Formats: sequence, structure tokens, C-alpha cells
Amino acid sequence: MKLIEALEIVKRPIKLDARSFDVLLAAGFTPLHLQTFLAAHLRLLKPNRRISVHTALFGDLIGNIEKAKSQNLDATAVVIEWADLDPRLGARNSGNWRADGLTDVERSIAVSIQRLADAIASSSKSPVVVSMPTLPMPPIFTTAPHQAGGLENKIQQRVASLALRLAELPNVRIVNSQFLHETSPFNDRIDLKSEITAGFPYSISHASVLAEQHAKLIHNPVPKKGLITDLDGTLWSGIVGEDGVDGISWDLEHKTQMHGLYQQTLASLVSAGVLLGAASKNSPEVVDRAFDRRDLLVSRAEIYPFEIHWSRKSESVKRILEKWNINADSIVFIDDSPMEVAEVKSAFPEMECIVFPSGNYQGIWDLLKYLRSVFGKSSVSADDTLRLESLRKGAEWKDVVSNSSGVSLDEFLKLAEASIFFDTSKPPETRAFELVNKTNQFNLNGRRYTESEWVAINSNAKSFSVLVSYEDRYGTLGKIAVMLGKLEGHKLHLESWVLSCRAFSRRIEHQCLKFLFERFGCEEIVFDYAQTARNGPLQEFFIGLKGKAPYPSMALSRESFVTHVPALYHNVKEHVNV
Amino acid sequence: MSKVVLSPAEREELLVRCFSSVFPALTTEEIRIASSDVPGVWDSLATVTLIAVVEEEFGIQIDEERMPELHSFAAFLNYIGEEASRGS
Repeated sequence: MKLIEALEIVKRPIKLDARSFDVLLAAGFTPLHLQTFLAAHLRLLKPNRRISVHTALFGDLIGNIEKAKSQNLDATAVVIEWADLDPRLGARNSGNWRADGLTDVERSIAVSIQRLADAIASSSKSPVVVSMPTLPMPPIFTTAPHQAGGLENKIQQRVASLALRLAELPNVRIVNSQFLHETSPFNDRIDLKSEITAGFPYSISHASVLAEQHAKLIHNPVPKKGLITDLDGTLWSGIVGEDGVDGISWDLEHKTQMHGLYQQTLASLVSAGVLLGAASKNSPEVVDRAFDRRDLLVSRAEIYPFEIHWSRKSESVKRILEKWNINADSIVFIDDSPMEVAEVKSAFPEMECIVFPSGNYQGIWDLLKYLRSVFGKSSVSADDTLRLESLRKGAEWKDVVSNSSGVSLDEFLKLAEASIFFDTSKPPETRAFELVNKTNQFNLNGRRYTESEWVAINSNAKSFSVLVSYEDRYGTLGKIAVMLGKLEGHKLHLESWVLSCRAFSRRIEHQCLKFLFERFGCEEIVFDYAQTARNGPLQEFFIGLKGKAPYPSMALSRESFVTHVPALYHNVKEHVNV
Repeated sequence: MSKVVLSPAEREELLVRCFSSVFPALTTEEIRIASSDVPGVWDSLATVTLIAVVEEEFGIQIDEERMPELHSFAAFLNYIGEEASRGS
């Protein structure tokens, strides 16, 4: 992004009632264009928010970070440079670069790093994004520039250990310096004239790239949920129906190793909770035999469902989406045939459809990195690893329910021996935040929360949060529902309520309301309902329960609930950890 | 940074855009007569930003010693014209 573009983006008009989004930019230097670029990149990522990037006193990085504690911020961007660790490492300071003074530089850096770590750790509960020094070190060391001397290595080690320590904090995200190397050439980063004359050390291009990385980490979008892959020419090299099961390959010997790397990336994504489906124009028996091969790097068990037939790819994709119960905009489709990709794209314009760059080493490598960028998440939870299995169980459940001729739903639910766990601990686990921010279909109002809003709500003594988990004889679904609200007298105001789509048809939603009535002793629940483009399943639930469509501030009395609730067979347990 | 070759009219148009990005409240007519003599609009921060934008857009490095004289739209236009004729 050019500076003129950033200035123009920042000045674009915004709705008067747009919610604010306040970020503190903590830097030891004059932030100048970095402030402009950060505001512009955030504006592009959050077009409906009124972005304010605040700065503080220049030259006092630690003091600026400490200020974040007392401010109501949505995020803090901490930009560390060498001069913040020791002023002698900046071009604006005149100090001792003599050989006998260098050990003092190292000692001083150790102290600064400790102070920085403490300041960031205690600064704010809202997200803090930190970039470690991005500029080349000044020519301070006695070794030739092409030799990494002991002292320089020690300093680099201290900086790396600071990054490691900060990365372990739950609200801190570190800008990846390797990624930065790829996007901002090292030699083009520093602008000495600007540093010396205006106190701003970055070239315009580096300021833009660094601000973009900070903005991305502050924005932290919900990752995509599923990937649908083709098989022939994509998951493996060759056409299994023609070349035979032994004729397809993904290894060094056949010069098809890039397909192997693709496979192991897919397996890695599955292990982090990404859903993986396969769509291939093939004979099911042939594909089945291919998946008997023991050397495949992604197993049959990691893929669900398989759509293997000769119908159109868009038909396969449609069926997979139905089984996953996920919207097309959360999915990536990959196929080596541009024609198939175009056909799926025309059927699902909101889906990201990618042509697998067969035979193009760098192209496949870039694709693997791109997949990390759209599916990447800060940490992998136990629920992520459960997702594929619980979806499979959910689909089996649906099949059993629809095929159980002669067995009523009530009998089936009774036989399921289901248990529901209500966790009212405050603050709730991170999984609750993720669920509220990504669930679309059974969602009371579609409301999303920033991390700072989430912290504020859960710090409010009047608010409650309930995280719901489910398991039955067919398996565990993990944490699948969240309720947030306030109790005022005998009225309970439910402000957010989401239920994962894989938990439908089990009367969990009824049990949730029963729990609220019983646990909080309320006589009425007032729902902060709002219709969204996608919350049809929630509307259907209310129509089933109350006989009419929901509306804003709709109330449900205990009496009405007791009259209309169907029989519930769950074993209910509560967990509290305040 | 590579110098951008433009006609005089294109130079003026691009300079107006540069000024507009730094002084969004000014109309095109006001920009053409803008100078740092008007208090409250053109401060030192605006000068630094304007110089950075002009350098990036025109692909030039403004001579530090000439910076103090760049106190108006006309002065910038004149400087950029000199740079263009030097490069041609």
C-alpha cells in the first residue's frame, strides 16, 4: 500500500453510528506513517468500525505499554526496535560503540527485555500484537558484517527468548519475522534520512508491510472450516482409474513428492480441526482400493465424506456441505481441473475455489502456505480434534433417526443415554468465544464480539455465561453451545445463544432453556433475538416451541415452557469454577 | 525509487491528489493556493507527511536543503517541475 492510498483510506467516510475500535500503537520512535498505515489496514479489515489508532509519548516504549492498562482498548500494537532495547543501537543517539563498551550493551538489553516482558504481561487483557526488532542492527560489533559474532548471537538469543516468553501469554500474538522477511526485503526496511531528520526509522514500504501484519493479527479473523479436495491429479499424481492403484504416486521416486506434501498438509489441517472431504469423478471401488494403500499420508479415516461418482462436482460439493451443515463461504475447494473449479465456482460463488497447480513446485508450495493462512489458528483445542469424528457421528445419527422405522424419536433419544454438561465458570473457556463468533445457523442474533468486548462482558459481575458440552453412547460432540446473559429479578435476559449445527435434533436447545429456568430460578426469559440471513434453524426451533416466529425481545414464561417442552432424556451435570 | 515521467498537467493533477490526501478538508481550488502561512492546517506533521507522499508518488528524493522553501502548493509544483526537467 502506498502512503497516499493509506491517507485516502483513513479519510473515507464512515457511518455516524459505527462502533469504535481503539488501538494503542506503542512505539519508542515517532510513529508517523506507521500510525497511518495501521489505521488504513485495520480500516480495510474492519470496514464497518470507526478505527482510532492512538499513540503516546515518543521515546518511552515501556511507559506507553503500561498506559494500555488504564485505557479501554480493543487492542495494543507494540513495535519494538533495537533502540528500545538500548539507545546506543539507534542511529539518533551518540554513545559508546567501543569494543570495551559492548558487554554493557548486552547487559542493558537483558534489563530492557525483562522490563518489556513484565510490562506486556501486565499491560492489558485485550489482544496485544508484538513485533520484535525488524531493522538491521547498526554496525556496532567488531566482527565483519558477514560474520555473526558471539555478542550479536547473544543479543539475538535474548530477543528470541522474549518472543518465546510473550507468545505463551494467551492474549499476545507475535509478528512472524520469517514471514516479514518474505514480504519486506531486509535491505529496504530502514530509512536513515527519515530516522535522523524526523525520528521515523522505517521506509514507507516497510512501514506498510509491518502495519499490515499488525493489523492482520489484531483483526484475527475466524478461520475457514472445511476443505474439499479432488483426488486424481490433486491428492495424488495420476489417474487411478487408468493408471491403477499402484500407478498413482506422491513420492520422490516418481518426482511427485509435492502431492505428498499436499497430503501431509491436509492431514495436519485435519488434526487441527479442519473438515476434509473428497469429491472425485471415479468408481467408488477403485478409490476404495487406493485408500487401502498404507503409504498414503492422509488416511481414509481423516476424510469425511467421500463423494465418488460420475455426477457433476457441484453436486458432490452440495452433498458434502449438507453433511457438514456448513456454509459455502467457510469452505475451500481444490481441483486440478480449471473446468471443474469453474463449475463449482459458478454453483457456489461465495466458495473459495482453487486450481491445484500440478507440476508447479513453487505453485504447490505457495498453495500449502496459503492454506495455512486461511485455516491458521493460534492454538488447537481438544474440541478441534473431535470435530470430524463428531460430524461423522452426527450424520450417522441423522441416518439412524430417519431410517429407524417403528422406533419413535423419543425412544431413540432415550436409548442414546445422553449427558449434557453445563459449565458456568467465569470467564468461560476460549472455546466459548470461538463458538459465539463462528456459529451462524442456531444463533440468537448473529452478534459477534471482539476479544476486548468478550473480556468486558465476562468481567461484569451481573453477567453469566454457560458453556455446554454433550456426549452420548454414539460418541462425544464436545463443547457445542454457549449462552450469555444477565439476571434481573425474575427475568433472565439472554443476550447470546449459539448451538453448533452438529448438535441439532437432540433436544439440547430445550435442555438449555430448562437449565436456565432451574439454575437461575427465573420466571421469564427475554430473548435478545434478531433475524439474520442465516439463523433459520433458530427460528424453526422457536416456531416449534411457541407456535410462532420469534421477534425482538420475545419473552418465554416458565409456565409456557413447561407446557410446550417435549420430554427430555439427558443426564444433566453442572460444573462451576469461579 | 524510480522517477515518474509526467506532463505538466499530469504533474499538477498528481500534486493536487497528494495535497488532498494530506489536507482532506481543502477543495481543489483551496489546494492550489495553499501555503504553510495559514495556521492550524499546515503544521510540521503535515509537512513531513506531504514530503513523504510527494517523494513516493513522483519517485524523487527532495533535497533537504530545499525543504524550507517548500511552503506552498506553487513551491512544490515548481520544485517538481525542476526535478522533471533535470531528469529529461
